[in-house]
Amino acid sequence: MNENYDTDQMWITMGPQHPFSHGLWTLRVKADGEIITDAEPEIGYLHRGWEKECENRTYAKIIPMADRLCYSASMTWSHVYCKVVEEALDIEVPERARYLRVIADEICRIQSHLMWLAAVGTDLGNLTVFLWALREREFFLDLNVRLCGQRLTTNYPRIGGVRNDMPYYFERDCMRCVERFEKAIWEIIKLTDESSTFVGRLKGIGYLKAKDVANWGITGPAMRGCGVDYDVRRDDPYDAYEDLEFEVPVLNKDNPMGGDAYSRYMVRIEEMFQSCEMIRQSFNKLKTIPKESPTRIKVPRCIPAGTHCAKIEDPRGESIMYLVSDGTEKPYRLKVRSPVFVNVSASRHMVKGVRIADIPAIMAMIDMCLGETDR
Amino acid sequence: MPYKFLNKYPKKFRGTGIIVPFGMAVKRMIKSTIHRPVTIMYPYEKEWVPDNYRGRPGLRFEKCLGCGICVRACPTTCIELVDVTDDKGNTVKRPQVNIGRCMMCGYCAEYCPVDAMTTTTDYELAEFNRKDLIYDPHRLAFEGTNEMMEVHISEHLLSNLAKGITDKPVAFFETDRPVLDDTKCISCQKCAKVCPTSAITMVVVGTNAKGREIKHPIIESSKCVSCENCVINCPKAALKIKEVL
Amino acid sequence: MGYCSILEWIFFRPWDSIKESGYCPYSDYNLPYMIGLRLSEIILGFIGWLINIFVPSWSPENSFLLSPALLNGTAVVLEVVIIFAVGFIINLTMIWEERKILGRTMDRRATMIGPLGYFQCLGDGLKTFCKENIAPRAIDKKVYWWALSLVIGSSVLIACMVPLSDRWYIVNYDAGLMVIFGLFALAPFLILSAGWAQNNKYSLIGGMRAAELMISYEVPMLIMLATTCLMAETYTIGGIVKAQFDTVWYIVPQCLGFFVFLVAAIAESERVPFDLSEAEAELVEGWQTEYAGMKWGLIMLGDYFRGYTACAFIVILYLGGWMLPGLGCTPVPELVFIGKVCLVFAIFAIARGAYPRVRTDQILNIGWKVLMPLALVNLAFVIVLKTVGWF
Repeated sequence: MNENYDTDQMWITMGPQHPFSHGLWTLRVKADGEIITDAEPEIGYLHRGWEKECENRTYAKIIPMADRLCYSASMTWSHVYCKVVEEALDIEVPERARYLRVIADEICRIQSHLMWLAAVGTDLGNLTVFLWALREREFFLDLNVRLCGQRLTTNYPRIGGVRNDMPYYFERDCMRCVERFEKAIWEIIKLTDESSTFVGRLKGIGYLKAKDVANWGITGPAMRGCGVDYDVRRDDPYDAYEDLEFEVPVLNKDNPMGGDAYSRYMVRIEEMFQSCEMIRQSFNKLKTIPKESPTRIKVPRCIPAGTHCAKIEDPRGESIMYLVSDGTEKPYRLKVRSPVFVNVSASRHMVKGVRIADIPAIMAMIDMCLGETDR
Repeated sequence: MPYKFLNKYPKKFRGTGIIVPFGMAVKRMIKSTIHRPVTIMYPYEKEWVPDNYRGRPGLRFEKCLGCGICVRACPTTCIELVDVTDDKGNTVKRPQVNIGRCMMCGYCAEYCPVDAMTTTTDYELAEFNRKDLIYDPHRLAFEGTNEMMEVHISEHLLSNLAKGITDKPVAFFETDRPVLDDTKCISCQKCAKVCPTSAITMVVVGTNAKGREIKHPIIESSKCVSCENCVINCPKAALKIKEVL
Repeated sequence: MGYCSILEWIFFRPWDSIKESGYCPYSDYNLPYMIGLRLSEIILGFIGWLINIFVPSWSPENSFLLSPALLNGTAVVLEVVIIFAVGFIINLTMIWEERKILGRTMDRRATMIGPLGYFQCLGDGLKTFCKENIAPRAIDKKVYWWALSLVIGSSVLIACMVPLSDRWYIVNYDAGLMVIFGLFALAPFLILSAGWAQNNKYSLIGGMRAAELMISYEVPMLIMLATTCLMAETYTIGGIVKAQFDTVWYIVPQCLGFFVFLVAAIAESERVPFDLSEAEAELVEGWQTEYAGMKWGLIMLGDYFRGYTACAFIVILYLGGWMLPGLGCTPVPELVFIGKVCLVFAIFAIARGAYPRVRTDQILNIGWKVLMPLALVNLAFVIVLKTVGWF
């Protein structure tokens, strides 16, 4: 800053209605010209009292509400809720249901990542990526329709299993869709990764060191892009994940600077390929399980008193639900640990020193979803 | 399972950093000009939806028992039992759905013991005022309801699985039955009156000190749908559902 | 003096007699002027004939309605209207073209209204015109309105000054290119003041970005302009076009220069890879944030006028203008010119679909570290060519 001039830094309020904020939240940034010196995220515009509302619902009625936590990760959110209740009841999910849940989760992960890729396209000013990614996503939403009747609010997992067995031809449809996707995604990758302007926008901004990641509690692709090798699916496997072979993409393990926005981008793209592989393996395993084998266990309405915790790997990070039950048919308390809520707290750390034009690129890599952040 | 994307990217040297995306754009432009674009012109043409699509709830009027399970299963409490006249002129209880609150979770169809409630493929539900959003039981009927729109519960009992029986799916309305606590019953017959399937008959089991008859409900298991109307209406909480697990 | 036939009032004068009357502003044949003249003859003659019905003393001979002075005056006014209307129609075509290309690139249907969706732009324009005219309270009113009108006005002015052929122009300057370019370069100042006047942080940043972008890209553009003028040894647009017809399209010797000019032209017209002054992802609409409704629609139109001018520059400087190699001036050189402009604009549109927005520092790096040296290399190459005597 030049000492001779009486210049001042200005606070710019980005949001709550701003093109870069995917949802209702505010990022107040302090800008010195184009360079950002300080930032302050503000959330809470979408607070619906979700956790309090759950205390007035019976356990079964919370599943469709858990879908509404995040519009593009509904499957994993209702899954983690079912999982915490199953832990409270101490029951095993039937094997077939475990694989069906894995398939549903991975379909959800792919479509969520495609939604994120689409949002990256708009944030960087290229609508083509947006529409191509949404075109691919549509096939996975159609799979959701075939599986459980709706595109986004799937309401598929149940306490003790899944809502229904997979319909006829679902395996054929799903494998066709996955194989098509594995070819078609390269079209988008060629538009993004081969483009020096696209990569140039993402590289070298929003650095996070592995130590910062641990301190902030960041999880998910943002964490793996910064060199922390941790994935709930592999390190604390739930459902059928221990039987599947997959790689967890981890980047910048030896980089003292940590990971930038581009590495988070690459982790997410690779995760989509790994999800395709997991779906394929799950179907192969499903073939060995007889068709009429159970998919759902009858559970009691009342949960024995106690506190229980469950975590799964959400598309955005590690989602945890903490349940306090008092022996009635309604939960006493249900706490949601949303990965985005934690990740967005690091936004101040990430945007310091970058330009205003980098904010959308960095924030796109968090993959904001305000439904689960504010709950 | 090796990496598929990370093996190729990031590229150290991106010599064609401008040309490849341009070429991809041109390629897609030519492709979508020759074959039509993937989008559909929505109000004029609609996407095909499978029969198991969870649109608004539908009701098969003649099948419905009026038991009220859907009312209690609904997470948003958008269903209400109302009195309507059926074809024969009798007044019966049937569910009425406030579509403005409905979140299309399909629980009403799932929990319906007789599959009278179904999901439908109807999803264009906008109306010009809120009054029109309330679907009375006759309006809930959906033409072309087929068995794919029914949602069945096929749960397995843990006790069965422990015994190795895996081919006996049940639903809660087949197994759970109300049981009577004899000491609490005051012979008021309310349970028999509210039972939608008339599964409850009052049987004289003796006389009390004043010489009045003591009547206890006997529940016919084949007729009962586990709707809990008797449990809820019992003034002394003598009945409660016994869950089979 | 009796009743006159309408044919006595409406008759078409030959070109020579008009030139000799002394009121004609053009020495060469000018098509829009001639269309205006014929139209004014028809209109004024019809009015005169109507008056003649009631006032029979009026006759074609002594009526000032048919005097060369009035006819020429009306003709000039009509000519301006015609030139603007044609520019406007070209603009609508280009917007339609861009939306169609973008739609197909993104795998979606684009415009829908009218034949092939052509009238959608008209509908959109009508919609913006129906909007309420909103201005914030705490603005610098004078600058806010004047900068807006000048941005739009200068954009329309330069678009109208582009000649479509050697018979379709307003003024045939000797230094026509320099005048158009001078007005083209006026925009950063106006945009900066518009961004300041809106009293909005987004607009201010957008205005500053626009200024820094345009100023840094004008330098390579001017160098390219000078290179081409050096090659053609003239500053007139007609001369440059004719020189290309005599030798070869300048895209062949100056392919490097064509690329540099293309990139700079996209940047100058603020289109997507370089539209960081209205980057909607971080600055809501950049310097246009507080210009709502009709004002925004007009700014949009002005942007497309600038895009049209940039394309026309490329066509004139590198693609042979309105001439075709071997054919020379076809019977409709205007249509040839418009076709070439639309082809160049297709590149603009596809680039908009293919690339994301470039960052502020990257854009200046490209401008100063890539385009400037390339422009100088191109200039040196042209000087070598001239020295050797091949051109």
